Amino acid sequence: MSEIHLTIDGVEAVGQSGQTILQVAKSAGVDIPTLCHHPMVSDLGGCRLCLVEVEKMRGFQTACTCPATEGMIVHTETPKLAETRSLVLQLLFYERNHYCMYCPASGECELQDLAYRYDLDHWLFERPAENKDVDASRRYFVMDHNRCVLCRRCIRVCDEVVANHTLQMAFRGSHSIVSADLGLPFGESTCVSCGTCLQSCPTGALVDRRSVYGGHREQVDRTPTTCMQCSVGCQIEVVSAHNRLLRVEGVWEAEPTNGLLCVDGRFAPLYDEKRERVTRPLVRRDGALVEASWNEALDAAAAGLRQGGVVGLATAANTNEALAAFKTTMAAAKGKVGRIGKTLPCVKASATAAVTDIPAADLVIIAGADPLEQNRVLGYLAKRAKDHEAKIVLVADGENTMAPFADVKLTSAEVGQLAGLVAEAKQPVVLYGAELTDAAKGALEGLEAKFLGIEPGRNGRGMADLGIAPLDADGAKARLLLLGEEKVCGCCVPTQNGAFTVAVASYRSDVVNEADVVLPAPIWAERSGHVTNLEGRVLALNSAVTMPKGVRDEVDTLADLASRL
Amino acid sequence: MAKIKVATTWLEACAGCHMSFLDIDERLVELLNQIELTSSPITDLKHPPESGVDVGLVTGGIGNEDELAEVKMMRERCKILIALGDCAVTGGVCTMRNPWSKEDVLRCGYVETPSTVDGTLPGHEDLPELTERVLPLDQVVPVDVYLFGCPPNADRIWYVLSELVAGRMPKVEGDLLRYGMDE
Repeated sequence: MSEIHLTIDGVEAVGQSGQTILQVAKSAGVDIPTLCHHPMVSDLGGCRLCLVEVEKMRGFQTACTCPATEGMIVHTETPKLAETRSLVLQLLFYERNHYCMYCPASGECELQDLAYRYDLDHWLFERPAENKDVDASRRYFVMDHNRCVLCRRCIRVCDEVVANHTLQMAFRGSHSIVSADLGLPFGESTCVSCGTCLQSCPTGALVDRRSVYGGHREQVDRTPTTCMQCSVGCQIEVVSAHNRLLRVEGVWEAEPTNGLLCVDGRFAPLYDEKRERVTRPLVRRDGALVEASWNEALDAAAAGLRQGGVVGLATAANTNEALAAFKTTMAAAKGKVGRIGKTLPCVKASATAAVTDIPAADLVIIAGADPLEQNRVLGYLAKRAKDHEAKIVLVADGENTMAPFADVKLTSAEVGQLAGLVAEAKQPVVLYGAELTDAAKGALEGLEAKFLGIEPGRNGRGMADLGIAPLDADGAKARLLLLGEEKVCGCCVPTQNGAFTVAVASYRSDVVNEADVVLPAPIWAERSGHVTNLEGRVLALNSAVTMPKGVRDEVDTLADLASRL
Repeated sequence: MAKIKVATTWLEACAGCHMSFLDIDERLVELLNQIELTSSPITDLKHPPESGVDVGLVTGGIGNEDELAEVKMMRERCKILIALGDCAVTGGVCTMRNPWSKEDVLRCGYVETPSTVDGTLPGHEDLPELTERVLPLDQVVPVDVYLFGCPPNADRIWYVLSELVAGRMPKVEGDLLRYGMDE
């Protein structure tokens, strides 16, 4: 790469060879209008809005695809270009239903913004009276082909970011529509509802059902935070209005996953959470859990825990701060702390991998894990590597969602082949999970590869860093359970067996319903603090909405409890 | 200086644009010192005089034969014709019926609605025929000034009128250009 020098609108701009005019202009602070361009995917020069004039070149050039070269003199806003862009916009408005007055995207629409920018004060052409179908077969978002500008961003993010290849163009000319799996309803297609297309849509063609008409731009609050649904730690923005959760969006520029989310992070917490929230402290009186004041509940909890023989058990659905406070409280209670849920086997690794190493790998070994099911974004990244000719090796004894995409499938008995595969690879990455067998573990150790352990718990890495490990809790006389919003049941939490139990929890569950004292806890969007992701990155949680009245942060709850012990 | 004469009318519209016109509030008093409002849907006189007026404000799209005649009359009698609001500029929400024939639309509205029992199509000589499609003004007559908005807010209507009173052609651009309810 060498430095190149351009003149863009009279401004000296320095770029690198290989960059496009658009990229150089952007770094020089020149704003060229775009519509089909999206920073996460390759450019196709389809919408014609980024047209620029380059001296000594014939006609107009699409800035998003035209390579910048030394000495280029570029003009981005001439009267001729304004006229051409204005005509392009007229044609876009003409082609489909772009009546802003009843479009949910009005107020946050890139087509609308461009029309404002080029002063479209009326339409030149009468819109043809043709209605395209609206595909509402997906649970979380709707596709209205009438609002589509055929920019193909959705198709490209599905291909290049998610590597799911569900979308493509169907038909030709004005009949063109975005289609799923050659014509299936979206809801019956291979779509995995990760919502990346939804987030990349510039108009109202793809619309989130829940947040539609919920507010735009200055009407909403955007809180940058970390997804807490698994251990990957995708960076998200929680969009809310008037303390009401609207939707979750990925942050394109933020590692580890650069905007890529999955259904579990983007939609499930908002659409599918049906459990009953604990919003008041509860104490058991005459056999029944009844509402109590915080003071009464904390006093009752402390009285029970003071009797000795206390064990503290925490799930990974807690912040580092809450876990540290938990340890302090348990020290005051003179009890041991332990972890609820699966843990990651300790594998001796020659080097560690970052999440961003996965799509760049030429060999991805997946062992003891089902990333497409449990940590879906890691699965998408592995599939992205496969799109770049990487080999996927799956080590699994049972069924695995990744199996259709594996080039080599091995059972624990066949792991001897791994060494040969790794020896042929230049950038091998090993992803291992909680189901790793001893045989596979033995075969992996010593391989010259970058390793990434897929922590099964959301903040499992934070727990491990604090030294909270599984513990035999049998025979405890009293228990303090720090459950957070984890779905817990009798198989992950040992049965109560007469032990006095204090549960700090966000939701009701069988375990909570059997407790003697229940102290309400916040949920993901209400939390602040930090978690440690599977790579060991410490990531911030920022509260997007306030906790319901009656709920308190665990850190405060545990400190108050400790002071009573 | 003689007051400039202004006429307003609404075609296939919800009246929201006229409500927004009234929302210029106390500025109406100032305005009425400078203009003569010859006619409007909310005054006794509904049509501008044959001798003509300086400015005509038209809201709504064109969806029936009466509206078609009305907009043609407005064009003949107004020196400057303003398409006020999304429906006048683009046809707006009324164009939702355009993909279907007018017979289908009427049947859907008067016969096939789930709550209708023994519905009949409306038909009376006083009722104007629907046009085949709902049209924006400029598909029928030339328009001089366009003001998008559903409705355009009072400040933007005030801007357009005060420019005209000052003898200038209003330029609806920059922040004055807003579509739909994107105020």
